[in-house]
Amino acid sequence: MANDSSDFARSMAIATSGLRAQAGRMRVISENIANADSTSPTAGGDPYRRKVPTFSSALDRTLDAQVVTLGRIKPDQSNFRVKYEPSNPAADASGNVKYPNVNSVVETTDMRDAQRSYEANVNIISATRRMIQRTLDILKS
Amino acid sequence: MSINDLPVLSALRTKMQWHQERQRVLSENVSNSDTPNFRPRDLVEPKFDKSGAPTGSMRPLAMTVTSASHMTPSGAASSFDQNKNAGFETRPAGNAVNLEEEMMKSANNQMDYAAVTSLYSKSLHLLKTAIGKG
Repeated sequence: MANDSSDFARSMAIATSGLRAQAGRMRVISENIANADSTSPTAGGDPYRRKVPTFSSALDRTLDAQVVTLGRIKPDQSNFRVKYEPSNPAADASGNVKYPNVNSVVETTDMRDAQRSYEANVNIISATRRMIQRTLDILKS
Repeated sequence: MSINDLPVLSALRTKMQWHQERQRVLSENVSNSDTPNFRPRDLVEPKFDKSGAPTGSMRPLAMTVTSASHMTPSGAASSFDQNKNAGFETRPAGNAVNLEEEMMKSANNQMDYAAVTSLYSKSLHLLKTAIGKG
């Protein structure tokens, strides 16, 4: 065995890496939702571009296990929404305003997915804790 | 002969180690439930002969680590066989983790572990009774 910590401690550490990654994903999603209607500060400029979180699996050498990490947060290259609003200060010469390429439906489903994965990781941690408790109960008998 | 050499206790201990290792594998699967191209893994259940010793491929030839800086191959279990056929549905991103299935496995693992620890303490009780302290 490459490390001294017990397998239960390793299980908890792996699940914690999942919690951290999902929390990071949640942060990116909230950033997208918060900026769903922001426009460019300059007339005719590009507004906020949607960010997409990526996950990667990495070998943690101290844990000797595959943990998950939040990889690079990449910009979504899809087109901006364009609305004709000549009175808007961010409108270009022809009166069109570019809005971010954020779709609230996509963000909401992503958020539900992140929440589900987060809960699954929390479940693993509580299950592992109950198993540790059972081990300690042997001493009590 | 130490207490740990009793067949019942050593079999139960192996089973507990197996559950511990399985919990680690399941936790790896759940935490990587959104990683592209990740395949979930599981462990093959241990089998015991009549004397309580593990049989079959439970004791593979271990690789020898000749230097402290050597890495173990990723995902290699210490002494239990891996079941490579875990997971039956693959998402377009190549991830085959099914959260519901993993939750079921984790709950099963936890209940079985509880049963084994109860058996272990009962066996210790028996020993205590045998030496007249129970």
